[in-house]
Amino acid sequence: MLEITNMSNMINKKKTSIVLGIMCFALTLAIVIQIRTVENTNSTVSQNYEENNLRAEVLKYKERYENKYKELEKAQQELENVRQKATQNNGELEEAENQINQANKINGTTEVTGPGIIITLTDGKSMPNTLNPNDLIVHYLDILSVVNELKNAGAEAISVNDQRIVNTTGISCSGNIIDINGERVGSPFVIKAIGLPEYLANLSRPGGYLEKMKDDGVDVKIEKSNNVTIPKYTGVISFKYLENIK
Amino acid sequence: MIFIAILIGCILGAIIGMNSPMISYTYSSYLAIAIIAALDSVFGGISSVIKKNFDLKIFISGFFGNAILAILLTILGQKLNVDIYLAAIVVFVWRMFMNLGTIRRYYVEKWSSKLTKKESKDEKTKNIASE
Repeated sequence: MLEITNMSNMINKKKTSIVLGIMCFALTLAIVIQIRTVENTNSTVSQNYEENNLRAEVLKYKERYENKYKELEKAQQELENVRQKATQNNGELEEAENQINQANKINGTTEVTGPGIIITLTDGKSMPNTLNPNDLIVHYLDILSVVNELKNAGAEAISVNDQRIVNTTGISCSGNIIDINGERVGSPFVIKAIGLPEYLANLSRPGGYLEKMKDDGVDVKIEKSNNVTIPKYTGVISFKYLENIK
Repeated sequence: MIFIAILIGCILGAIIGMNSPMISYTYSSYLAIAIIAALDSVFGGISSVIKKNFDLKIFISGFFGNAILAILLTILGQKLNVDIYLAAIVVFVWRMFMNLGTIRRYYVEKWSSKLTKKESKDEKTKNIASE
C-alpha cells in the first residue's frame, strides 16, 4: 500500500517537474526576447511594423525597376548595333537611319552635347530679417519661367537635375519638391541648356527673371560652358489618340 | 528534482532567447503584458504551495490562460482606444504583491518560531544547568 502511493507520488513529481521546467523555459524565453527587443528598438527612430514592411516593399520594387531599366538599356544598345550593321552598305536605308537619328534628337531620346550654360538655383538661407521666407524657395513656377526663357533664347536641349525637358514634360508642384517628368527633384536645381552661350547667358540681364529671383534671396549661379552634356529622356513617349491626317 | 527541472528550463530559455530573432516593437507590448501575467501566476503558485492548496492543473491553466487573456485584452483596448493594459498591469502587480506578502509572512513566521524555540531550548538548558 505504501509502495503504491510512493510510486504514484514519484510519477506525479516527474510530471510536475517536467511541466514546471517547460513553463520556466517559456517564461525566461519571453523575458529575454522582450529585454533584447526593448534594448534594440530604443535607438531606432520609428519601428512601426507596417511602416517597415512598406519600406521594404518600396525598396524591392525600386530594385526590380532598376534591373528592368538596365535590361531595357541593353536591348536598346543591341537594337542600335543591329540597325547600324544592317544599314552599313545601303544608301536608302542609311537615309532612313539618318531620319531616325534626327527624330531622336528632336524627341530628346538621345544624349546630346554642345556649348551652352549651366544655371544653378539653390534655396536661399533664412535670415532673421527675411520678410517673406516663401520668397527664398525655388518654386515650380520659377523653374517653368527659366525653362521658358531658355527656350525663348534659342536653347536646343534643356534638362533640370538630369530630367530632360521634352514635348510631354510637365513641371508641377509636389509639396516641398518639384515634379518633372513624373520624377521628383529638389533644391539645388541644376538647369543645363545647349545653345549659343552668349544668348543664353542673357537670362541674367537686369530686369530678367533670374535677377528678380536673386533679389528675392534665391542663390543663382550662371556658368557658360563649351561642352554641356544633357542626358536623354528616360520615359516612354506613347501616342494613344493622335493619328496622321491622310 | 523539481528545482533541477526549473533550473534547466530557465537556462535553456535564456540561451535560446539570446539567439532567437527579435520580435517587432508593436508586438513587444503584448509580450510584456503576457510576461507580467505569467509572473503573477508563478507567485500565485508559490503562495498556494505554502497554503497547501496547490493544484497543478489550476496552476498551468492560470499561467497560460492569464497570459493569453491579458494579450487579448490589450488588443481589444488598442482597438477601442482604451488603455486596458494599464488595468491588467495594476491587477497583476497588486496580486503579485499580495502573494509576495503571503510568502514573506510564512517565512518570517517560520524563522521567528525557530528563533523562539531555540531561545526556549536555551533557557531550558540553562535552567537545567542552574538546577
